[in-house]
Amino acid sequence: MPDQWITSVGIDIGTSTTKMIVSRLKLTRTSSALSLPRYDIVERELLYASPIHGTPLLGEDEIDAERIGELLSQDYEKAGISPRDLKTGAVIITGETANKKNASRIVHLLAERSGDFVVATAGADLEGLLAGKGAGADRRSMHTRGAVANLDVGGGTANVAFFARGKPAGTVTFHVGGRLIQVDPAGTIEAVSPSLRPWLEASGFAISPGQTVGFPLLREICAAMCRDMLDYLARCALPAGGKETIRKLMLGDPLPSVPVLEEWTVSGGIGGLMAAKAPDSLAETAVHGDIGPLLAHALRQCCERYPIRLAQPDQTVRATVIGAGMQSTEISGATVHLDASLLPIRNLPVLKLDISPHMLAREALLKEAAAGVMRTAASLFEQDASPPFALALSGMKHCSYESLQWLSDALAERFREAFPASRAMVVVCENDLAKALGQSLDRRCGGRPGIVCIDQIRVEYGDYIDLGEPISGVMIPVVVKTLAFHNRTVGGTHA
Amino acid sequence: MKLTTALLGKTFQFKSLKEVMAKANEEKSGDQLAGIAAEDAKERMAAKLVLADLKLADIRDNPLLPPETDEVSRVIEETVNEKIYGEIRRWTVAELREYLLQQTTGNDEICRISRGLTSEMVAAVAKLMSNLDLVQAASKMEVTSHCNITIGQRGVLAGRAQPNHPTDSIQGMKASLFEALSYGIGDAVLGINPVIDSAESVKQLLNATKEVMDQWRIPTQNCVLAHIKTQMKAIRQGAPADMVFQSLAGTADGNKGFGIDIALLDEADELIRREGTGTGPNLWYFETGQGSELSAEAHHGIDQVTLESRCYGLARKYKPFIVNTVVGFIGPEYLYDSKQVIRAGLEDHFMGKLQQLPMGVDVCYTNHMKADQNDMDNLAVLLAAAGVNYIIGVPMADDCMLNYQSTSYHDIATLRETMRLRPAPDFERWLEEMGIMANGRLTPAAGDPTLFM
Amino acid sequence: MERTISLERLVDGVLTELEKRIAAAASPGGDEAGGMPLAPVDLFGPAASRVPDPKWEEGVNELIAATPARIGVWRAGTRPLTREMLKFRCDHAAAVDSIYGQVSPAILEQYGLFTVETRYENTENYLKRPDMGRIVTDEGVEKIRSACRMNAQVQIVVSDGLSASAVDANLRDVYPALLDSLKAYGLSAGTPFFVRGGRVAVMDHIGDILQPEVFVLLIGERPGLVSSKSMSAYMCYRPRKGTVESDRTVISNIHQGGTPPLEAGAHIGTVVKKMLEQRTSGVNLDL
Repeated sequence: MPDQWITSVGIDIGTSTTKMIVSRLKLTRTSSALSLPRYDIVERELLYASPIHGTPLLGEDEIDAERIGELLSQDYEKAGISPRDLKTGAVIITGETANKKNASRIVHLLAERSGDFVVATAGADLEGLLAGKGAGADRRSMHTRGAVANLDVGGGTANVAFFARGKPAGTVTFHVGGRLIQVDPAGTIEAVSPSLRPWLEASGFAISPGQTVGFPLLREICAAMCRDMLDYLARCALPAGGKETIRKLMLGDPLPSVPVLEEWTVSGGIGGLMAAKAPDSLAETAVHGDIGPLLAHALRQCCERYPIRLAQPDQTVRATVIGAGMQSTEISGATVHLDASLLPIRNLPVLKLDISPHMLAREALLKEAAAGVMRTAASLFEQDASPPFALALSGMKHCSYESLQWLSDALAERFREAFPASRAMVVVCENDLAKALGQSLDRRCGGRPGIVCIDQIRVEYGDYIDLGEPISGVMIPVVVKTLAFHNRTVGGTHA
Repeated sequence: MKLTTALLGKTFQFKSLKEVMAKANEEKSGDQLAGIAAEDAKERMAAKLVLADLKLADIRDNPLLPPETDEVSRVIEETVNEKIYGEIRRWTVAELREYLLQQTTGNDEICRISRGLTSEMVAAVAKLMSNLDLVQAASKMEVTSHCNITIGQRGVLAGRAQPNHPTDSIQGMKASLFEALSYGIGDAVLGINPVIDSAESVKQLLNATKEVMDQWRIPTQNCVLAHIKTQMKAIRQGAPADMVFQSLAGTADGNKGFGIDIALLDEADELIRREGTGTGPNLWYFETGQGSELSAEAHHGIDQVTLESRCYGLARKYKPFIVNTVVGFIGPEYLYDSKQVIRAGLEDHFMGKLQQLPMGVDVCYTNHMKADQNDMDNLAVLLAAAGVNYIIGVPMADDCMLNYQSTSYHDIATLRETMRLRPAPDFERWLEEMGIMANGRLTPAAGDPTLFM
Repeated sequence: MERTISLERLVDGVLTELEKRIAAAASPGGDEAGGMPLAPVDLFGPAASRVPDPKWEEGVNELIAATPARIGVWRAGTRPLTREMLKFRCDHAAAVDSIYGQVSPAILEQYGLFTVETRYENTENYLKRPDMGRIVTDEGVEKIRSACRMNAQVQIVVSDGLSASAVDANLRDVYPALLDSLKAYGLSAGTPFFVRGGRVAVMDHIGDILQPEVFVLLIGERPGLVSSKSMSAYMCYRPRKGTVESDRTVISNIHQGGTPPLEAGAHIGTVVKKMLEQRTSGVNLDL
């Protein structure tokens, strides 16, 4: 099979702006002619980047879905792309927008208008990760000994992703954003986001809509916000038992441990504003009716107080959308078992079974483990969903034919027991095993359920996964939606 | 041309020069497999006696493979300097041997007569030389070459860093490369054999080696040893290649088996001169090895020493920066044991040098050969004494991708210390700046690959 | 989010329970591995840094993890450390022994493979004369004629080639997985057997005798130091005398640390099916 290009879209609907990109990803065989086939994405080319649209809103907490649809249609036309051409990609509803009333409706609408396989998703962790990749922090971390963090600071949140030696090392999100406080040039507070109120209160800042404030107070608020966030990232304050205000500024749980940083970059709208001249007055601050320019300046000043290098990101305002469009897709192994009629499959929750070499060598243990995971699945997922979930298997690097038979027996039997009405079973193996396991399961199930068994994709508990349509009949694009890094180590890495 | 001799009460009558050349060879399993080797020790000696008395003109006048039918023969014929040939055409092969070994014959003299020799004459004289003859004659010849730096000076032993990886992982390749550099290896070339023969893979490896060179300002040259067409494609797509590489055979048919001919080599030569990143003038890397023509069934009944010499005749046309014979890679059906490998290594190095090539040797063996690492130690020392331009450096001599054993980073460092040899001068200066070498010896910091992280 | 957490807890519960049982099962005395000496590979343990005072400690481990090459090995003067040198020699010893070894008769019996020989005579001659390893002895030809089904859709043959231990180590995984994958595609296999002293092109000679559509030869590879137990699968559409190498399709490096044996077996079925559909193999096969 010669090289293939697949077209990917990225859409980022943020608190204040919306943007999209179209890119193409080059798939090349990366295994030798004497090995089993294996393809990887070796090149990513940006074909089109939309203008930065203001996110259309219907009132304070509702997104204008119709208008977004129109904007996208225009962009597709300008890009010369038909939604049918799209094979993969991601829609990110970022920050506070995800909490807005009709986010899920938008996701639905976008999926329809964006081609057959576009992943619709939300979640600060994934968003931070994609923004970090779009900003180039993963690449930069290959050249540093310490970790690199990218802070993607937009209107509603700051999504921070850590990378160490090229690999994601954690994500954390703060209520730090340019539109959290809206203010007019006269200093009248027009809105204060509810998500920021606990921190304002704990920090002793009393501001509320309608109140008029002075420039110094806003400057002080921005500085304090940045200080709390950066103190945490630079490990200058412990999350637990440390400053109470930091905890209030965080969305979700703190990390079990914060990597030691050597470098950080700031992307997002605020990252883009950091190079601009510092605002000296309320009028200069409130050009967009919010604290954005002031926050950007405060962040730049605050960064200088730490012994961490502030580097220039590859992308600022488009980091997330670039990450979503160009970095979200993985490719499955090319020796897999696919019942193509079942694809694509969107938004499938993952349940993981980590198999140890000891288990593999003992029939009873292996069968009990398979039974156990199916019992768990039965208690969690809908009985008649097709498929109800994706079973992730890891730790099977050295699997014998005999072990494969035990495992297939148990999985086929227990799955049909637990989900008698399901017409599809999805298995995602970490090790290169999917064709053997898929054939083995299929022989036992005879099409009821149909089997999709893929490999060389690493997923964890709590992830969601999207499976695209087959490429050349032998592999599929996959988007793993990581929902959380927190407490990941628990139970996740035995073997 | 006299093809008869009497030896130990028996008369030996050979049918052709081709037969004499084959039977005069030291024992090689490849010649036996081809069915052209001497029957026994006596017949071998008879052939050597006949060969010793043949004139150089006899060899030229009786081509083993006519230039009309073989383009490699044509290249060899065309490079002969007729004036110099005219001066030596009446020499016997025995006289040529003795001339080379005379104390009054130095580098300049050898260099001059080499222009009047064909590859077959060079092979012929090698057949009459003992192992120590091959060492001594070769040690007189200094062949320097320059890509980004100069190597080959007297007293210099360079090393190729060969950081291969079984899946072409860039990280994995770099890991081995850092180890090589930390032992002072890499002045000949940072040269990788890719698993995947695609322009994409070649491009990535060239980019990665170039990045390391730029980041640490390493005075050396990079090369990825894919098929020439793949490298050309990568270079045309903008990949930074200091040199191009190709394996050569000693017959046109053998080269066809490699998917190349002279027209293609000429095209690549033009490309690397126009779009390569190396300074030059020497921008090629060739590999050869006894037996490759037979394995491609393109040997035309000619023995493997002579065919190997013809590879060098072809290589000479392109003024390469480095050439090496991958002496023990091909397997026991061509070189059965360590004795045959050692002999072949010394022959190849000598024959290449006599054709003015910057010769290196991949001192190596596969696991089905009757040889082990001690044999490689022996050959490496012999070659160092013979003045080999460079040898191969692989982590602990074990190439985890090509699945054979060569010489290690440690071995090159050891040969330098014991044989009083040095890295290429530009490279040594850099090693000193990096704190890896001082006064020609490794410092306590050497051997730490994290120096490059 | 709530759901995720409870899910994790449940799975953790299952795993904890399993770990307990594993610990019980692995206790001394009650295990099939009891009393067995450690395998030579384990003697040296996984690769670890020997660099005494590296510039960056974590860095060495990252480098070692990135490649199977023997790096971070340090030195005594300019020579390797004793243990690293001996490790290398042990791996070489294993490789050499696998060439001179014999395939276990039990494994051939398990899969009902009868044995024929090529004209190789002995290992030394086998190494020097690859042409002898391409021809089955007259006695062998008779055996094949009398025991095997002619014109099979898929003819499977196993051979020791250059590594008997490759067959011992991988056949139990590759072979049944291959049979399963043929079954999955509805393909039928002829009578399988074992060739002692075979070279790849022995399939041409056997192809002439049995005239199968597709030939699958599972053969031990030239051993390396990384693995002395590596197997290759050579596949060819209608191999006959004079078949050229570029007409064969190969999957190589089949062993636990390389191409996974089960997946290789399963994939061979796919390749065979394409050969039957396209009526060709090797460079002309569109995979």
